[in-house]
Amino acid sequence: MSSAHKNKIAEFQSILSESHINLKVLRELCFNGIPFEGGIRCLCWKVLLNYLPRDQSLWDTVLQKQRETYAHFLREMIIQPGIAKVKFGVSREDVTLEDHPLNPNPDSQWNTYFKDNEVLLQIDKDVRRLCPDFSFFLNPTDYPCLLIMDPENEYETLRKRVEQTTLKSQTVARNRSGVTNVSSPLKSSASNSLGDYNPLPNGSEAHWEVVERILFIYAKLNPGIAYVQGMNEIVGPIYYTFATNPNSDWKEHAEADTFFCFTNLMAEIRDNFIKSLDDSQCGITSKMEKVYSTLKEEDEELYLKLQEQNIKPQFFAFRWLTLLLSQEFVLPDVIRIWDSLFADENRFDFLLMVSCAMLILIRNQLLEGDFTINMRLLQDYPLPNGDVLPILKKAKELQDSKC
Amino acid sequence: MAKKTYDLLFKLLLIGDSGVGKTCVLFRFSDDAFNTTFISTIGIDFKIKTVELQGKKIKLQIWDTAGQERFHTITTSYYRGAMGIMLVYDITNAKSFENISKWLRNIDEHANEDVERMLLGNKCDMEDKRVVPKAKGEQIAREHGIRFFETSAKANVNIEKAFLTLAEDILRKTPVKEPNSENVDISSGGGVTGWKSKCC
Repeated sequence: MSSAHKNKIAEFQSILSESHINLKVLRELCFNGIPFEGGIRCLCWKVLLNYLPRDQSLWDTVLQKQRETYAHFLREMIIQPGIAKVKFGVSREDVTLEDHPLNPNPDSQWNTYFKDNEVLLQIDKDVRRLCPDFSFFLNPTDYPCLLIMDPENEYETLRKRVEQTTLKSQTVARNRSGVTNVSSPLKSSASNSLGDYNPLPNGSEAHWEVVERILFIYAKLNPGIAYVQGMNEIVGPIYYTFATNPNSDWKEHAEADTFFCFTNLMAEIRDNFIKSLDDSQCGITSKMEKVYSTLKEEDEELYLKLQEQNIKPQFFAFRWLTLLLSQEFVLPDVIRIWDSLFADENRFDFLLMVSCAMLILIRNQLLEGDFTINMRLLQDYPLPNGDVLPILKKAKELQDSKC
Repeated sequence: MAKKTYDLLFKLLLIGDSGVGKTCVLFRFSDDAFNTTFISTIGIDFKIKTVELQGKKIKLQIWDTAGQERFHTITTSYYRGAMGIMLVYDITNAKSFENISKWLRNIDEHANEDVERMLLGNKCDMEDKRVVPKAKGEQIAREHGIRFFETSAKANVNIEKAFLTLAEDILRKTPVKEPNSENVDISSGGGVTGWKSKCC
């Protein structure tokens, strides 16, 4: 380790050991990249995302309370409905007397159950394809959720729910003689199309299953947004950072901690995910336009070129902004960018500057390219020298010049 | 000005529920490869492939869209410019088939009237998981007067054929004119007028 890096770690440690964290100084330090060592990044992200208060003496209480709250969510939203489902399935009387699968009442538990399944299936499709070129999410977690995995409990887990719901649509096949084959669930799940992403044996679970649970709980608690594609790409880097924390005390609680940090982050960026807000003042469209208007001020030639080629910001900036660039770069680079993003007081204005900087840094290529070449550059961004730092530096310049 | 390496440019659009394999269909066509592990498409993606039909070099500009409802305001803005739309469902997913009528309505509302439409039932390699019979796909295609193929991006079934057929159908409707026709005097009987730089 270089001495500069050692100094940097020492600087962070000194700031973080103060009883009352100086947020301004911490932000400045974090902006230039947070060390991974000793779990410093996890800690800083938790502070920057307002999960941990500035008063250090409160941390233990806050963490304990929030982790209990999360366990409570799991019980209420996954375990109890799972138990109820098993009961429904077994006891016929309950089914006919109180509630049944065809009950048209919107308050019906079955109705809720089927609606939840739709959301769950959508989440399931996406978390299985989270960072596919990176094995981490396929690996088993060291801390499977004991509450959920309890072998004593005979209830329907999310995993069983997904399996059942996917099977439901393929159980009945009729052959030519009119015989209806109801294939056994066992047989079908053996030839599951899910391939590499088959769940691990009972008692262990992969990291992607943890992410699935976080998103499901979020969807249940925020029915107005529920789940929108791309949220998985926001949870991913946070969960990865927390679940690889060298500080194992905290690593064990990566799931609950990720949930709350994700929720706090979503509070700031959720408008991007809401379709009905697209054309409102706070929606994604106005942000995309801001990227272009900033570009126009900073590099009019490039702006005019993109205009002339009819390359609209929707073609690329929609994804850049909605996903906080998480699909544009490899995970370590995404995390490095997020250090700066989270550290900035006006963090999502800063994201607009980063986007603008990304355009300016490849201006020569863009000025030469035709529509096709440029679309390819923007959808598959060629990181100059494989380093994100010049982008952040340029973005900071842009931001400072506007003050 | 960059030299044009094609005679015609066709803009195509892929739509359909999320997870039916739109990105895989496109990837098979553009790169002749299959990848099971695609991240979900957010907003819109884009590929180019140049094909040759009836002696003409045709550049296909193909837009791949996100399937989820949330992205419709973003994606429907691409319908207008599209000359061909491929509507994809998954033969192992009944819901994606039920939604066909919804997608067709979207086309009616947002696309040009004369847009060429095509229906694809993807994942036809997964016969043991099939829930949508081929006949049902054929029927709905017939009802709407559009072409239909069952495809498999994985096993490379009918992918190229589907794209080429769609391109041919568009080509058939494209008014026959020489690339430099704006400089041709009709009375000259279509005589060759020498090379001029083509216009977009």
